[in-house]
Amino acid sequence: MWSAVRCRTLSSAVQQWRQRQPGPTLLNRAFCSSSVVTEDQSPDNNNGKSRSSREFLNLEEVQKVLSDVKADDVQVIPVPKNYDFADYMVIATGRSDWHVRNIAQALIYKVKQKQKGAKRMLLPSVEGQEGGKWIVIDSGSLVIHALDEKVRAYYNLEKLWSSGTSDDEQTQDLDKAFIKVRRKNNSKKRPQASA
Amino acid sequence: MAASSASKLFRAGRSLLGGLKDPNGSIGMSKDLPRSYLFSQQQRTFIQMRTNLKVVDNSGAKRVMCIQALKGKRGARLGDMIVASVKEAQPGGKVKKGQVVYGVVVRAAMQRGRSDGSEIKFDDNAVVLVNKQGEPIGTRVFGPVPHELRKKKHVKILSLAEHIA
Repeated sequence: MWSAVRCRTLSSAVQQWRQRQPGPTLLNRAFCSSSVVTEDQSPDNNNGKSRSSREFLNLEEVQKVLSDVKADDVQVIPVPKNYDFADYMVIATGRSDWHVRNIAQALIYKVKQKQKGAKRMLLPSVEGQEGGKWIVIDSGSLVIHALDEKVRAYYNLEKLWSSGTSDDEQTQDLDKAFIKVRRKNNSKKRPQASA
Repeated sequence: MAASSASKLFRAGRSLLGGLKDPNGSIGMSKDLPRSYLFSQQQRTFIQMRTNLKVVDNSGAKRVMCIQALKGKRGARLGDMIVASVKEAQPGGKVKKGQVVYGVVVRAAMQRGRSDGSEIKFDDNAVVLVNKQGEPIGTRVFGPVPHELRKKKHVKILSLAEHIA
């Protein structure tokens, strides 16, 4: 009953958690119990954003893991507040396919280590494991992209998320920019035939 | 920003005609609702073979026609992957007309229920072209995209989107 009361007070937070939970769907009570368990287990990690510390990995831990794995060009982009999607996006580059996959595996290993001993392990979802060009690790409020160098230049995620949506309007109007509009010639005068 | 997207999205509560799925058979049953109300509510259905969809990324294609819905017996819904054939393409794009491509449905006219009981539906059917591994071919996605893609493991498309519904 106590967990049920706890569920009601945390209902909005749990709903947000559930919306962001990319893993398999669990029952409502299972969610409440898992959130209570992780809160009790990590009281010392409540620095800065309480939501990101309660979920899988801290920003500092992620950066440490990425520097251990020697990922190039790690960039942290805070997502603007009106997006409900995530709080931070971390973009890292790998030197080869194998390196990109290694970055993803190192992060998952760190998450597993942190959750060792818990009754139920919640792992972040990993996308793109088969082709090692772009792997996304989605842990709720923190989204980590591990890319190849060429793929990073192709998609250009920093430009999209740092400057907002102003760039998209530009690419859409690019086709219109090249259309040449001729002035309407309503004069009855005959055009000069002589060259 | 939201005004630039042409499609509107509606969030409805629990639908009034929740139990009555086909409007043709239910005309006799509901006497309290006026007939015009039933006729004005169009029953939207799944995305299946021969469905035309709009392409909302900058991969070069404009319209595709669905050939196969990869999941679901009755058709594809919001967030599912389909196989499609490019019917109309921009001249200098990455895909050509007549090419067979995979796509992820990002907007569907059929409503989709959310976990909190609300439903979401859009004005049009739109798709983002991907390759077989699920990586988008284009680099930007236009218009609103719903949260459902996150659950379906399409976070890459969400991260390229300009507006998340």
